[in-house]
Amino acid sequence: MVHLAHLLMKNYHGGHVAVQLALGGCANRPFFRIVAAYNKRARDSKYLEQVGCYDPLPNSHNEKLVGLNIERIKHWIGCGAHVTKPVEKLLGLSGFFPLHPMMITNAERLRKRRALKAKTASEEETPGDQ
Amino acid sequence: MAGFGAPRWRFLWRCAASPLALRRPGRALLWSRGYGQDAGSEANKKKSDVTKPCFMDELVQSLLSKMTGLDLQKVFRPIKQELKPPTYKLMTEKQLAEATRKAIEEAKELLKMPPVLSEREPIDDVLAEDRILEGTETIKYVFTDTTYSTPHRERFIVVREPSGVLRKASWEERDRMIQVYFPREGRKLVPPPIFKDENLKTVFREDRHEEVLNLCIAQFEPDSADYIRVHHQTYEDIDKHAKYDLLRSTRHFGGMVWYLVNRKKTDGLLIDMIQRNLIDDATCLINLYHMLHPDCQSAKEVKEEDAYGVDLIKVFMKTESKKVGYIELALQAYQEALASSAAL
Repeated sequence: MVHLAHLLMKNYHGGHVAVQLALGGCANRPFFRIVAAYNKRARDSKYLEQVGCYDPLPNSHNEKLVGLNIERIKHWIGCGAHVTKPVEKLLGLSGFFPLHPMMITNAERLRKRRALKAKTASEEETPGDQ
Repeated sequence: MAGFGAPRWRFLWRCAASPLALRRPGRALLWSRGYGQDAGSEANKKKSDVTKPCFMDELVQSLLSKMTGLDLQKVFRPIKQELKPPTYKLMTEKQLAEATRKAIEEAKELLKMPPVLSEREPIDDVLAEDRILEGTETIKYVFTDTTYSTPHRERFIVVREPSGVLRKASWEERDRMIQVYFPREGRKLVPPPIFKDENLKTVFREDRHEEVLNLCIAQFEPDSADYIRVHHQTYEDIDKHAKYDLLRSTRHFGGMVWYLVNRKKTDGLLIDMIQRNLIDDATCLINLYHMLHPDCQSAKEVKEEDAYGVDLIKVFMKTESKKVGYIELALQAYQEALASSAAL
C-alpha cells in the first residue's frame, strides 16, 4: 500500500500555531472567535480548535462578553503557540496574563492628552475673561 | 461528564433520556455539576446547634415523604406532551402488579424533593486594582471560563470594570453567564414576569401553585433570593387559604411542611389532615415538630408520657397550637365518624 496522503496535505514552511481572533458575524455586526490556527492560514478559514469567543458589541447590561476555554488555551500555549496582540490584551484584561504594556502606555498617553486639553481650555478661558 | 475533586453533595435528577422526562416542564439533565456545598452544614452553621436535624436527614426525609403520600393518579396525570393515541395492554394479575410496582418506583423518583438551602452570601471579592486603566473604557468586560469539565459552582467568572477594578462576578451575573454559555432546558436568560409579586397573586387565585413552583425550580438556583422568595410566598398563600391538598402528592409538599414546621404554623395543616382522616400523617407531623423544636413543652410531655395517635395530637393541641378550638372540633368529628363506621 503506497502512503501518499501526507504529501498531498498542505505543509507550512516555518509556520507556527497562533491563538488569534477570527472574524465572523454579519454586516455591521462583528463577532470574534478566539481560535488556535496555523499562522499561515487565512484569518477566517480552517482552524485547529476554537478556544473562546469575544463579542465586541455591548449587550443590554452594558457588558462585552468574552468566553475563554482556559484549559485549552493553556494546552496550546504549552505546545508553543504564539498569541496575537488583541488576544494578549483580552487575556491581560481578564487577569490570566499580566496587563499588556501597550494598554498601560495608551492609557497614560490618553491621560496626558486629556490633561493637556483641560489645561489649554482653562488657559483660553482666563485670557478671554481678561 | 461527572464532576471531579473532593466528594461533594450531588443532587441527582432524572435522566432526560427517559421517556417520562417529557412530563415535567424544565426537568434538568443528570446534574453532574452538583452543588459544592453541603446542605447539612449550611443549616448547622446558621442555627449554631450541631444536633439540629437538617432537611436532608434520612429520618426527616422519611417523615416528609410519608406525609407527601403517593397518589399515582395525581403523579401520572395527563400532562401537555406530544399527542399520540393511547396504548392498551392486556396483562395478567401478576403483570399488572409488576407494572404498578414499577410505576410506584418511577413515582418515587418524580417525588424526590428539591433542596432547601439558606440564601447565598453575596460575592464581593476584588482580584486586582489597576487604576491606570481608568477612563480608557466605558464598557465593562465579563470573562467566563468555558472549560467544559469544571462544575458551574467553581467556574471563574470575572468582571473588569471601566474603573480598572477586576472583581469576581455577582451571583446574578454568574447565573446569566452560565445560562449563555451552557444553556439549560427550561431556563430563560431573563426570568419570566410570572415571578413578580402582582402576577404571583393572580396565579395563586387560579390555584396553579404547583406549576409556579416547577417553573421556579427550572429557572432559579435553590439558594438564590428569588427561589426562596417565590417558595415562601407560595407556602404562605397555601397556608392562608388552607389549600394543602394542591401540593399533596407532589415533590413540593416536603418543602412546604419543613417551612411551616420551622415557623410553627402547623395548625392549619393539622386540621386539614384530621379532616381527611390522615391520622398517621398528623402523628408524623407532630414527630417532626418535636425533632425540630426539642425544647417545646409538648415535646417534653410526650417524652414523659410516651403518647401515640390521637392522644399525641391532643397533647400537642393543648400545649403548642393556637387554634385549639378548631383542632378539637375536627378531632371530635373524626372520632364520631370512626365510632359510627365501627357501629355499622
